[in-house]
Formats: sequence, C-alpha cells, structure tokens
Amino acid sequence: MNAFRRMLRSDSLGLALVVLLGGAALSIARPEFLTAYNIDVILVGFCLTVIYALGQGVIIAIGHMNLALGATGCLVAVSFGGAMQVWGLPVWAAVIFGLLIGMFCGFVNGWLTHKSGLTSFIITLATMSIFKGISLGITEAQPFYGVAESVKAFGSDRWGPLPETLLVALPIVIGLAVFLGRMIPGRQMLAFGGNPSAAELSGISRARMVILAHTLSGLLAAIAGMMSVARLQLASPAIGDEWLIASFAAPVIGGAVLSGGHLSVLGTCLGVLIVSLINQALVMLAVDPFYVQVLLGALILGAVGLNRLRESRMGNAPVLRLS
Amino acid sequence: MMNVKGILAGALLGAAVLGGAAQAADVKVALVPGGPHPYFANWEQGGRDAMKEFGLKAADYRVPAKWELGLQNQMIENLTAQGYNGFLIFPGDPVATNSPMADLQSAGIPSIATAGCTKDPSPALFCFGTDTGHSAYLGAKELIKAMGGKGTIVHFTGNLVDPNTQLRMDAVAQAVAESNGGIKLLQTIADIDRTPQEADEKINALLAARGKDIDGIITSAWLPAVSSATALRRIGDKRIKMVGIDHDKVVLAAIKDGFVHGTMLQNPYGQAYIGSYVMEEIVGHGCKVNDKAPFKSNALTKRFIDSGTGFQGIDGVDDFQNTMKAVTAELMKTFKATYLICP
Amino acid sequence: MAALNTVQTPSPRPGERDAASAASRRLSGIFGSNLVGLLIAIAVFVLLFGFFANGFLSKVNLYSISRSIGIDGVIGLAMMTVLVTGGLNLGLGAIGVCSAMGVGWALQSLGLPIAVSMIFGVLLGAALGAVNGLIVVTTRLHSFVVTLATMSIFFGTMILLSGANGFNALPRVLTGFGRIRMYGVVSPLLLIMLLVAALLFYLYRYTALGREMLAAGANPFAAKLSGLPVERLFVCCHALCGGIGAIAGVMASLRNGAIVPSMAGPLGADWLLPAFLAPVLGGTLLTGGGVSVSGAVLGCVFVEIITRGLYMLQIGEFWIQTALGLVLLGAILLERGRAAMALQRSIGR
Repeated sequence: MNAFRRMLRSDSLGLALVVLLGGAALSIARPEFLTAYNIDVILVGFCLTVIYALGQGVIIAIGHMNLALGATGCLVAVSFGGAMQVWGLPVWAAVIFGLLIGMFCGFVNGWLTHKSGLTSFIITLATMSIFKGISLGITEAQPFYGVAESVKAFGSDRWGPLPETLLVALPIVIGLAVFLGRMIPGRQMLAFGGNPSAAELSGISRARMVILAHTLSGLLAAIAGMMSVARLQLASPAIGDEWLIASFAAPVIGGAVLSGGHLSVLGTCLGVLIVSLINQALVMLAVDPFYVQVLLGALILGAVGLNRLRESRMGNAPVLRLS
Repeated sequence: MMNVKGILAGALLGAAVLGGAAQAADVKVALVPGGPHPYFANWEQGGRDAMKEFGLKAADYRVPAKWELGLQNQMIENLTAQGYNGFLIFPGDPVATNSPMADLQSAGIPSIATAGCTKDPSPALFCFGTDTGHSAYLGAKELIKAMGGKGTIVHFTGNLVDPNTQLRMDAVAQAVAESNGGIKLLQTIADIDRTPQEADEKINALLAARGKDIDGIITSAWLPAVSSATALRRIGDKRIKMVGIDHDKVVLAAIKDGFVHGTMLQNPYGQAYIGSYVMEEIVGHGCKVNDKAPFKSNALTKRFIDSGTGFQGIDGVDDFQNTMKAVTAELMKTFKATYLICP
Repeated sequence: MAALNTVQTPSPRPGERDAASAASRRLSGIFGSNLVGLLIAIAVFVLLFGFFANGFLSKVNLYSISRSIGIDGVIGLAMMTVLVTGGLNLGLGAIGVCSAMGVGWALQSLGLPIAVSMIFGVLLGAALGAVNGLIVVTTRLHSFVVTLATMSIFFGTMILLSGANGFNALPRVLTGFGRIRMYGVVSPLLLIMLLVAALLFYLYRYTALGREMLAAGANPFAAKLSGLPVERLFVCCHALCGGIGAIAGVMASLRNGAIVPSMAGPLGADWLLPAFLAPVLGGTLLTGGGVSVSGAVLGCVFVEIITRGLYMLQIGEFWIQTALGLVLLGAILLERGRAAMALQRSIGR
C-alpha cells in the first residue's frame, strides 16, 4: 500500500511539472497570462470541470462508468432554472431541489446497475437518454432565463483572481480527497474497485458500494450543473453536452485506471488544469482556427506522454499495462 | 403466424397512408430543423399560423432529438412514411442534405431548404433563408460604423464542419478589407457553437488576454453571441462595441442596457409561415416555382430567396417580433406573383 | 453466435468483471441465450410497431431501416474489433470521416478509378488505426487517452487539408449504389454489413489470428507468458478497427450521395453511441477477450427498430429520447429477468 501511495504521489508530481512548465512558458510568451482577470477565467473553468470530472472519477474508482453524468447535470440545471422561473422558489429551495434530483438520478443508476447485474455502461446509456429527454421535454430546447440575481452574481463575482465558485469547488476537492484517503467508506470504495470479489469476501457490501458511488456521482453532477447555470446566467438544456469525454480524460490523465481501484484527486485536478492550459494557450497565442484541433490533440498526447516517459525513466511504470 | 398478420396489417396501413398522400387537397407540411435549437422555436408558430390561415391539413414542427445528420435523414424518411407531402428542411449539411431531398423528389414530394441553403445542384425548390455570409458582412459593417471606422476587432463564429463558417469568416475579412486599413482583425475563434460552456471559456480567455487591445466584437453564431453578451455585461465598461446575431433574450437585454450595440436579426417565423404557404400552393393547388423569378444567388446556390435579415439596434428592441412580422407581411405581398406560376 | 472465449482472468482486469462476466456467461451462455432474447425482443417490437405505428412496415420505412442497419452495424462491428483488446477507439468516427474524405480526394482530385480509391480509403483507415495501436503499445497509455488525442489530430488535419469542403461530384455509379433497392426493401448497404460480419465471424471462429486476438485481449499477461506477440496483435486489432471504420465512412457517404466532413458531427463523435451500443448489447465484453459478432448485428437491429418505431408512434418530438431510454431500459431488464428465469428453470430440472 505504501509503495502504491508513493507511486500515486509521483504520478501527480510529473503532471504538476507539466502544468508549471506550461504555465511558465505561457506567461513568458504572453505576460497577460498572469493578470487577475485571466487567472479568474482559468479558475472558473477549473472549478466547474473538476467537479464533474470527480463525479466521473468516483465511478471510475469502482470500475464502473457513468455515461449519464452530463445528462444528470443537464436535468438538474433545467430543474434548478425551472424551479426559480416557473415555480418561483427561493434560491436555497431550488438548490436543495437540484441536489435531490441529482442524487436521485445517481441512486437510480446505482440501484439498477446493482439489481440487474448488468454493466453500468448499458444502464447509464439508457438513463442518459431518459434524463436528457426529460430536460428537452421540459424546456422544448429553450433555456430558462429566470435565474435569480444572487445565483448570477455567484457565477460572475470574484475577489481579485479568485472566483466565488472556488468556495464550492475547494471544499469538494479537499473533502473528496479526505473521503477517499482517510475515511472508511471511501477506502472501502477503492478496495471494492480494486478487487470486488476480495472486498465482498472481507465483508464490504457490494450493494452499498455501488449505490454510494453512483449517488455521489449524481450529487457532484448536480453541483456542476447548477454551477454552469450560475456561470452562464441561464439554464440551457445544452449544459452537460460536452462533459462526457472531458470527465473521463481528466481522471485518466491524472492516473486513474478505468478498471477501478485507483483515483487520484490531485491528479484529476492537474489533469483538468493541463487541458485548460492547452485550451488557453491556443486562444492566447492566436492560433489559426483550422489548426486548433490538431494542436490540441498533439499537446494532450505530448503532455501525457511526457509524464509517462518520466515514469518509465524512474522505473515506476507497471511492467505491462497494455490497452 | 402473428408475424405474417402483422406485416399484412402494416402493409395495408402503409398503403393507406401513401394513398392518402395522393389526394391533392390534403397538404401536410413537416418543418424539420437540424436539431433542437432555440433559433427554430419561431418555426412552430409560423407553421401554425400558416395552417390556420391557408387551410393546410398540417404544418408540424418536428425536431430531431439531437444534432446529427443521420438522425435528421432518418426523421425525414420516417415523416415520409407517415404521409407528409411537403418539407421545409434546415440542411444538416449543405451538400449531404441533397440526398434525402432527392429521395423526396423521386417520391414526388417537394422540399425547400429553409434557414440555410443546400449546395447546387440541389433538388430543393429553392433556398429560403438568411444569406449567412451577407448577414455577417452587414453585421461587420454596422460594427465598423459604430467604431467610427477605426480599431481592432475579433470574430467569434460557428463550427468548422459547417461550410457557412468559412463564408462568414470570408465576409468579415471582406468588410475589414474595405475599411482601408482602419480596422484590424485580431483573431477569429471558431468551433464554439456546440455548447455554452465551451463558448464561455474561450471567449473569456480571449477577453482576459487581449481585452485591452480589442475595440469590437462581431459574432456570427448563436452561442458565441450569448456568451459574448454575458461577458461584456460582466466587464461592464461598455468600451468594447459588439454586434451579435439572432434574438436570444440575453443578447436583446444586453442591447437594451447598452452593453451590446446591436444584433443581426433573422426571420425564422417568416421562413416557416411563407414556406408552409408555398407548399399549400404547390402541393394543394398545382402551382409551380417560376424558374425565371429574380432569385438571388449566394455562395451555395443560384436559387436563393432572402427571408429578410436586418440590423436591430437599441431602437425598437422590445418589439423586434413585430419587426419580423412586418418583414414577413411585406415579403408575402409579392411572393406569389414573383416566385410562383399557378394554373 | 458468440465466439466463446470468456477466459476468466483473476485480478488486474477491468472492473465490473463480476457483473459483466457473470452476466455474459449467463446471457451469452453456450448457445448464446442473449441472442435468443434479442431475437424475441426484435420480433415483439416489430409486431407492436407493425400494429400501432402508422407506416412502420411500409416499403419506404423498411428500406430506410435496412440502410441504417447496414451503416450502424458496420460502425458497431468496427468498435467491436478493438473492444477485443479491452481498449476502445474514441476516434472511430474521425477515422471513418478521414478515410471517406481520402476516397473523395482520390476520386475527384486524383481522378483514380473507383476500386483503387476505395482500397486507398480502407488502407488509410487501417493505417490511422495502426497509428493508434502503435502509440498504445509503445507508450502503454490507455487507449482512451491516446484515441482522444488522435481523434482531434486526425479530424483536425482533415479539416485543415480540405478546408471543410466535401466532395459532391461523385461518379453516378456510386451515388446510384446508395439508392439501389433490392426486392423493394433491402439496401445493398445491409449486404455489405452482413459480409463484414461474416468475415469477422470467420476470423474469430476459424483462424489462428482471430483466436490469438481474443486470447491476448482476455488476458494479456497470460498471453504474453505463453508466447503470443501481444503487442503486434493489439496493433492488428486497432488497424482492423480503422479499416472497418473506413468502410463505414464510405457507406455513410454512399447514403448521403456526397462525402462531407460533417457526416459524423464534430470530431466524428456522433458515431460513438451506435459504435458502443450494438456490440455491448450483443454481449461483447468491454473488458476484452469476448466478442459476439451476431450479437452485435442483432443489437444494432434492435436499437434501429425501437428508434424508428418510437418516432413513428408520434410521441412529442422532445420526449422521444426519454421514451427511447425507457424502452431500452425496459427491454434489457426484461431480457435479464428472462435469462435469470431460464437459468432457474434449468437448475430446477
């Protein structure tokens, strides 16, 4: 376990180096990179992405997948907006309503996956369609514009370079790191993800683990959905559409293994930062739009490859980790 | 056994539907956008109004559940099987949408490329929509005028797989070139009309990095317009001028509050209303399109009819709907005489 | 028919293995009972829609269903060939579109004959797939990250080279081919799909190469120890995926009557759903090593039928996706119940 930990930490070290080097290079090329406004822009994107990436991360940790993550966020976002605009609920009530919906969606995913014994891939594929369909059905593809002023302010206010959304994201990141690293249910989840049969033999309840992870994932998706509403100042049924690939990419870049049992919260954060740095660089360096996609792919591959190279130099890479 | 029965029953039903389509009086128009998008919301009303006023059997707004070319094609095939005999289609792709249109044509069903054009040679009766390149050009001109002919602008536009994006980029470049060196195009950001978050991040990143060098913003796609308007409101100093596109509430409110200079309106209501009317005349009353009509031409087609585009500044921004209904009424006055030949 | 090769691997293979492999053992049992389930489901839905959905069994509809099954089936089969390795290919759509654009370029810009252009396209697809495979085995990164990056690179390069302009002056033979109706209801695209399926079936069932691919995918460690060239096999799987993806790209173009970069959406991502849905419904393991060619084909037919049928039932447009999800969920849960009951009964006996 200790060796495992050490590797985990060094995993993140390489990524941190990539982030630092990239950030340094960018701030030399473009001094504006370090302005308060720009750091705020990066952090706002970071806060949102890291929450839904961790929402996928906790599912990856038990070796499952949640394809319905974005659809859950979308359903919560439009319910949140609708609750304020149509029902005129106060913000706190709308937030609770949204959180409950997200947790319920996650619970349904977990419960169905557990009860049916099918892979979560199939279950969440079906529920993705259901959740997304309900969002479109409620809104008929129109956004809700009646978002409360306090919510809008939360999405755009900042203190210097620090956006208010950090107030939500930071506790979540820290809380989740503590949960997975120090608390019993969290460690049980990772153990279960690493080897379900062994975990069950040692008395960890399969039902509890699966439902816990999925409900947690739904909760995080709900928070990310409502943060999107605050940021965009409207509740659009297109929220969540681009989460799927990004939600897998960040934890995987951060060292998570899709087969479960391994999730680095810090690594996930760094994974999010790497992708957003690359995106920033492409905008700031005024890259021709036709080259953007090519460079994006090449840089992702480069960043991850660099980390892998460093790992294998240090002899940390697993002997054979194919696929 | 059951299976055979089912097939028989289905075949009979199918035959009945196809038979029904042959009756001249029953005109069922399907309005098929490329996917769910607020732009098309006014199509529904336009179709409904036309149905009531011109006595169509149906003018139904049928939206593919997602923005996928394959899904739209399937949907058109499905609607054909359900007996729709006139189609207003937003081309999911200017070239590829010709294929379902050709299928319709070979079944004797007319279609109009609506809100966007298909590329010639096309089986569509004609293209009825906004000339995207021209609209971007006019928008850029308005912006340059508002900036007093001097300064640096940026252009936020749609997705690169859509050839219209290239037209818009060319149009803005042309407007910049015509400014005699007074205007500089600092940067174009494309591929940001997919999701609001993506547009928000890239636009804010650019404003953060180069904001002080930027004097004007032109947007030629829906989501970038919304995100830019929100971003300018957030910055709040009203120094940067912006011309947006379409009629999202966020953009209109920003115009009203002075954060955005204006927007290039399009006329989705009129597209649906007039398009449905044309179908009634052609399918129901045997009219034909006048091949010698004074069609406009654009980069995609020589059979283009402008559904009206116009700059909407702060004046009259509250009743922009009426502006568009007036444009529609104006078009209607001469439409039949100009573009149709009726028995 | 499952190429039954669910070698049970003890520890480090991907998660959900209990659920997935138990399910697959039961579902795709010795005679592939999930195939029976899928067949029953397909028959039930055809009957239901035949009675209740106006025009579902009309020739127009049956023909267009056959065409879509042809294309989506090949997409699903392409993904299946790489799921064998326990990996995946997010860039399948990007490779399909790039290869199709390559065919268009060869035809229209180089003026090459049709057959040569087609072969060029398939080879291009296979080469792009092989690039994925090579990066995966040399860097040992997960294929998810690798194909996420190459998807962007391949598609971006294609847009860059083509300026997003498609090819619409295809030879008449080709545009006509996509419209051929055999017996009024069968598209030749369906036959191409069946041909691809038959070849894959042969590959996994009767050739040493196919069996080695399965063995390597089921347990790379064991395969390596027993002397199989696991790396080379994986590259082959990725190349095969690319080649079949290219065929799918060309088929989609034939249906469109033109080769356009937007045919699979931005980055070709529109293909992801059909690509995973068909093989996984058909019993292919995401953990690698187990495929079911006929399952993938039936999975694709099943999805196509419920999608089409629901559209024809005229449920409100915006609710269709919900209905689709509910039917899909209901059907797989029922099938699960049926399989469990069948198992109980057989134990009871």
